[in-house]
Amino acid sequence: MGIVAVLWEKWVEFRRDFYKITLAAMIAPLMYLIVFGMGIQTMSHGQPYLNFLIPGVVALSTMNGSFSSIAQSLNVQRLYEKAFDQVMVSPTPLWQFIAGQIIAGSLRGLFSGGVILVLTLPIAKDLIFNGWSFLIMFLNGAVFGALGVVVSFIAKNHADVPRFSNYFIMPMSYLCNTFFSNAKMPHGVREFVGILPLSQASGMIRAIATHEPVMWSGIGILLAYLVVLSGIAMIFIYKKKNL
Amino acid sequence: MIELDHLTKKFDSFTAVDDINLTINTGEFFGLLGPNGAGKTTSIGMISTLLLPTSGQVRIDGQELTRHRQDLKRKISVITQEYSMRQDMNMIEVMQYQGLLYHMSFKQIKEKTEELLEFADLIEFRKRKVRRLSGGMKRKLMVCRALLTDPEIILLDEPTAGMDALSRRQMWNMLRKLNSKELTIVLTTHYMEEAQALCDRVAFMNKGKLVDLNTPDGYIQNLGPYAVDEMIKDDIVSSFFTTKEAAIDHLSKIGQDTTLRTLRDTTLEDVFIQTMQAENKKIGNGRRK
Repeated sequence: MGIVAVLWEKWVEFRRDFYKITLAAMIAPLMYLIVFGMGIQTMSHGQPYLNFLIPGVVALSTMNGSFSSIAQSLNVQRLYEKAFDQVMVSPTPLWQFIAGQIIAGSLRGLFSGGVILVLTLPIAKDLIFNGWSFLIMFLNGAVFGALGVVVSFIAKNHADVPRFSNYFIMPMSYLCNTFFSNAKMPHGVREFVGILPLSQASGMIRAIATHEPVMWSGIGILLAYLVVLSGIAMIFIYKKKNL
Repeated sequence: MIELDHLTKKFDSFTAVDDINLTINTGEFFGLLGPNGAGKTTSIGMISTLLLPTSGQVRIDGQELTRHRQDLKRKISVITQEYSMRQDMNMIEVMQYQGLLYHMSFKQIKEKTEELLEFADLIEFRKRKVRRLSGGMKRKLMVCRALLTDPEIILLDEPTAGMDALSRRQMWNMLRKLNSKELTIVLTTHYMEEAQALCDRVAFMNKGKLVDLNTPDGYIQNLGPYAVDEMIKDDIVSSFFTTKEAAIDHLSKIGQDTTLRTLRDTTLEDVFIQTMQAENKKIGNGRRK
């Protein structure tokens, strides 16, 4: 029931801000596609660079849509609106609240990624997006939704979430197998970046889209991230004395 | 019944609530009074699980309250000092969200919401967003939200702070009606006349400690129900008397040239001021030693 409460709350927010959310999900990825894909027309591995770029931008949009919808909103509810206090004192099991936030984050991520898929339909005729692609998008959204929950709990003021985005989310956007292959990175950095969730999601979605062998172990890695981040969020919500 | 058992809360080296022991009976309207920083809001925070105690425990009907105890949390509703609501939701949405968090069905929520908004004279504003409501309307909405879930215990942290006199009276009437339904109500307030008018028993807190506990009338009788105010130098000084005759006798001895000479009933505010002055003197003396 707690999950339903959170999903209902997120639905109210989504319905009210539908146009703003949709536009926000479109602008940055479209710029990437126009500038890197169409403006600088190159080839990659014998294919148009757009074929490499689109799956990466879809994964990236999933990450951004999920993280920003959870981290910013929960942070405002906790520090500014204090609406989070009502959740804490309610009989809703707090794990259900966390689960609701993660699922809502996944759905928002899926929506953001889906918007890009629809927009690129005319130019991505050779790419395949199937049920597995959507599952990976959902899982990627869940990981970054969970990260959003953790960051919103750690944040001590309103500026901390954008700051975290600047230090961690933005570098991941560029480096994690979205605009160029990790294979070109120096040894050590390559392995580190390769293990990050966005690299895994980008790699799997791209492999499915371009009919290449998929590293299914990526699903396990995403699940591991999800479990660890959800666990941290649970510890915060149940154990922190002054949340 | 709410029991606070050696309840202590520390924030780093600062002790906000210091070893409080207290029992609040079922159906009681209980007041927690104290100056700013006395530990009232922190105590409410711990009774609602918003804050976890550093040591000691809160018991509801004999069982320890923790963040895991959904059955006990179900009995409690809190009206926090700040407007703890989504600013971008309208009244109906605020109520729906609360109802869902308390596991109510949409049908139940709808019926109860209309009834409560009607009760609080808010029904015509039901589609108005929270950020566009006046302070008084937000407070009333918070009361409606707290009542939506049929709680057995309501924790009210400064429910009339910032309200004009008329809205405050309306709120008092609402609270009186609630108390007549055998709800246990814990109120913190800065307004002494509010506590005097509403509470069955009142505890004074100062610097995290429980200083005194009595009924409003008990406090007043102990201090003396008759007060005489007089101006001495530039200060208004009050003296308290157990009989009216003694008060009149004192009044007659005050020089005619004194600018202020008044006989009146002692109030809870008088008791509070006398208690806090004595407490602060005690703490000051303790420090000097």
